[in-house]
Amino acid sequence: MLEVHDLRVSYGPIQAVRGVSFSVAKGEIVALLGANGAGKSSILKAFMGIAPRSAGRISFAGEAVERADTASIVRRGLTLVPEGRRVFSQLSVLENLKIGAAANRQLRGRTLENCERMYALFPKLAERRDQLAGSLSGGEQQMLAIARALMSEPRMLLLDEPSLGLAPNVVDQIFDFLKALQKQDIALLIVEQNAETALDIAARGLVLAQGRIGKEGASAALRADEELQRLYLGAG
Amino acid sequence: MDIVLQQLLNAVALGGTYALLALGLAIVFSVMGLINFAHGELMTATGYGIFFGIAAGFPFILSLGMGVGLAVVLALSMERVAFRPIRRASPTIMLLTSFAVSTILHTLMQNLISARPKPIPIPDMLAGAVTIGAHQIGTIQVLSIVIAAVSLIGLTLFFRATLLGIGMRAAAEDFDVARLMGLNANRVIAVAFAISGVLAGIAGILWLFQRGSVDPLMGFVPVLKAFIAVVLGGMGSLVGAVAGGFILGVVEVLLRAFLPDALISYRDAISLSIVIAILYFYPDGIIPRRENIR
Amino acid sequence: MFRKSLNLGVATLGLAMMLGGPAHAEETFKLGFLGGLTGYLAPYDQPSLDGLTFGVDEINKAGGLQGKYKIELVSRDMRSETAESAVIAQELAGAGVNFLVVPCDVDPAVAAGQISAAAGIPTMSSCASTPTLPGIVGEYMFSNYTADNLQAAALGDYAMKQGYKNAFVMLSKDTPYTQKLPEYFVEVFKKKGGSIAGIIEYKMGQQDFAAEVTKIKGLSPAPDVIMTSAYEPDFPAFIKALRAAGITTPVLGSDGIDSPTTLALGDVAEGVVFTNAGFATEGSALAKFFADYKAAKGKEPETLYVATGYDIVKVLDAAVGASQGKLDGKSLRDAVDGLENVAVATGTMTYKGMNRVPLRTVALNKVTGGARALVELVTPAAADVPAAQ
Ligand SMILES: Nc1ncnc2c1ncn2[C@@H]1O[C@H](COP(=O)(O)OP(=O)(O)OP(=O)(O)O)[C@@H](O)[C@H]1O
Ligand SMILES: [Mg+2]
Repeated sequence: MLEVHDLRVSYGPIQAVRGVSFSVAKGEIVALLGANGAGKSSILKAFMGIAPRSAGRISFAGEAVERADTASIVRRGLTLVPEGRRVFSQLSVLENLKIGAAANRQLRGRTLENCERMYALFPKLAERRDQLAGSLSGGEQQMLAIARALMSEPRMLLLDEPSLGLAPNVVDQIFDFLKALQKQDIALLIVEQNAETALDIAARGLVLAQGRIGKEGASAALRADEELQRLYLGAG
Repeated sequence: MDIVLQQLLNAVALGGTYALLALGLAIVFSVMGLINFAHGELMTATGYGIFFGIAAGFPFILSLGMGVGLAVVLALSMERVAFRPIRRASPTIMLLTSFAVSTILHTLMQNLISARPKPIPIPDMLAGAVTIGAHQIGTIQVLSIVIAAVSLIGLTLFFRATLLGIGMRAAAEDFDVARLMGLNANRVIAVAFAISGVLAGIAGILWLFQRGSVDPLMGFVPVLKAFIAVVLGGMGSLVGAVAGGFILGVVEVLLRAFLPDALISYRDAISLSIVIAILYFYPDGIIPRRENIR
Repeated sequence: MFRKSLNLGVATLGLAMMLGGPAHAEETFKLGFLGGLTGYLAPYDQPSLDGLTFGVDEINKAGGLQGKYKIELVSRDMRSETAESAVIAQELAGAGVNFLVVPCDVDPAVAAGQISAAAGIPTMSSCASTPTLPGIVGEYMFSNYTADNLQAAALGDYAMKQGYKNAFVMLSKDTPYTQKLPEYFVEVFKKKGGSIAGIIEYKMGQQDFAAEVTKIKGLSPAPDVIMTSAYEPDFPAFIKALRAAGITTPVLGSDGIDSPTTLALGDVAEGVVFTNAGFATEGSALAKFFADYKAAKGKEPETLYVATGYDIVKVLDAAVGASQGKLDGKSLRDAVDGLENVAVATGTMTYKGMNRVPLRTVALNKVTGGARALVELVTPAAADVPAAQ
């Protein structure tokens, strides 16, 4: 589904990502772990074409997308749920969902239908469809952010710290839901600091340190790895 | 006649014009972080559009349309030529660029058209007054209120009911995420400029109805007022800009109307002090652009 | 510090003039013009330069000033910035101009004049109308345009003759023109026995006059006449609001409203009386000037500032005649200061006994059917003109 080869991202003199290669298969769930500032968000942004991509190759569904613009990447079926949720607080729930579908003209006919699908998935959003997104609770906003991303009918979803700032039971709810997405054949790349939770649903994990992949392996293996803790606490 | 009521109508009429201008400034600011000081020149362009329309023998209404059209074309060209290349630059660079655009346009208009004001004959029917019950109010003021109201309602419909409008609001709130959702940044910004052109055009028409002439520097004062209104309402907040415009208009007119003679020369100082006092209590403006709960 | 460098500058200038001056002063008269060709002064200084240039071309074709001294015109744009005005004055003084025309506004005119006049170069503001200007700068500084107190005298006199007893005045403290001219009017009007119903202040560019008009409407008794020196865009906005409120009181204005805009206002401006620098009656010098200008350029001048700019050349011609060809600063200055009844495009000008603010013909115009109609041409008696202050 997604293949990355030697990706580098730098913000002026700061090299955030220094040559990262990996791939994610169709319908696969992969966790991308790492300490603060390791470069996780930068990688996701680079996929979406909103970070300065200094070098590397990215292909999605067999096509090179490293020069593509964000809209066309979304249309190809890759969408990001950004860090910190970033719902449009002054738009209603319904309007937020509509924006999620705005990139692809072909989806416009199905927009309302898709909204209903989201309401079925997240009944709380259904009750609040005309409410301003800013008035939702943190958990509800995260659900809305995911639902908004799903409105573009993605084949792969990038999630940047979906558990950030949420109560443990809400986190569980969200991850249960994410796991369920696998049934729809949607691949997931989940960035998390909460490694335990992410590895629970992921088949594999990648551990990023200072812009490079330090370790990678099956979830079980990573969870058993004692060095993982050290990587987290040590060189961020 | 009830003088207070009359003065209130006066205030609303002026406030409506400020609101239109401020809204145009705020839309562009909200999507690209640029305070476009050349916004005033869009008003001026409207004036010249009307002037040349009338000179070429077009009917008055059509000339007004040409004026607004010219403002839109100029707004779009400004964006394309001057502001697109610096979209990612610092706010200071953007601000300076907009000053440069403004100065270049002044100089061009002074040298290519005329430094002297050009008259815009307004039909006599617009010069009179309308009697409503016991009250008399100038036709132009009634028009200002009506046109401002219609424009604001139209724009509200656009923002609420069309996908493009919702996208504009989303982009105004969080441009990066709007882009992330696949909204076309160039298109969103171009639409923002086009709307700012329409609003400047309409405000320009109302302004011209009152002043009866267009000159190269005519946009300077209104753009300053609009800027104050935008700050007052909350930088980048669209509803705030409208509120700021109305408040500024009301404060100005009421001070002019009811300040004692001895104090009247200080009224700009007083009205700015009121603005500063409001900002003291609402440092982000009256209706700030809400940020997400992170 | 500044003073010192200024003196040094002046000394260098003097030297430069001694070395370079007389050699070409024999046949050419170097005329400097510095004005705001861009910026807020452009509406005034552009036409002034236009008229001046027209006059220079005309007189050069006829052999020059007094048929002998060809004018070499050097013009510079000070971009309507006062600081720039001083810098360019320095430069033009250094270039050895015999006479310098400076901007239409008081501040930049003073800034330039303080440099050129100190260097002994007779200096004249193109169209500043504040009568205190020459006094502020000194002996080498002159006005050209119809002064504020002169217009006020003509307006006060006219108001009295119309039988107006009670006048209402609107002024703005933003500029001397918008403030002092009405104040001079009040002085004249009161001196002649009139009373003032009230004075209201506006802010230039305020655009919206509804609040002021509502106040005027509340006056009891209503005034006989309203006088103001407001001009575009304030005046059109004011008179529209005034007439829209149903107030039909006659309105008196000054030359600031002598513009196509006023004439295009339609019914609301009908009957407004205003002063300006001249009226082209048939066979008059002004009519001839307009005709000549049109023949050369294909269109009539946009404003009278073109004619008053042209007038400066006439004054120079008369001055060079009076100085018997002496072009040094002192001789020229004395010559201009002594001029009497010089025939210029807009009428006549007299500097003698006027403290370098010329006594000029003032035209009273009435807006009639979208055109100017002449009420009368007057030259106020020097004694009727309020003292400059
Ligand atoms: N827009 C930017 N400009 C400059 N430097 C940036 C920018 N964005 C990120 N960086 C830097 O790049 C590095 C990686 O940042 P990134 O946000 O990708 O890390 P992260 O792994 O997502 O961290 P966190 O866990 O805190 O979200 C950091 O050193 C950060 O300071
Ligand atoms: Mg991050």
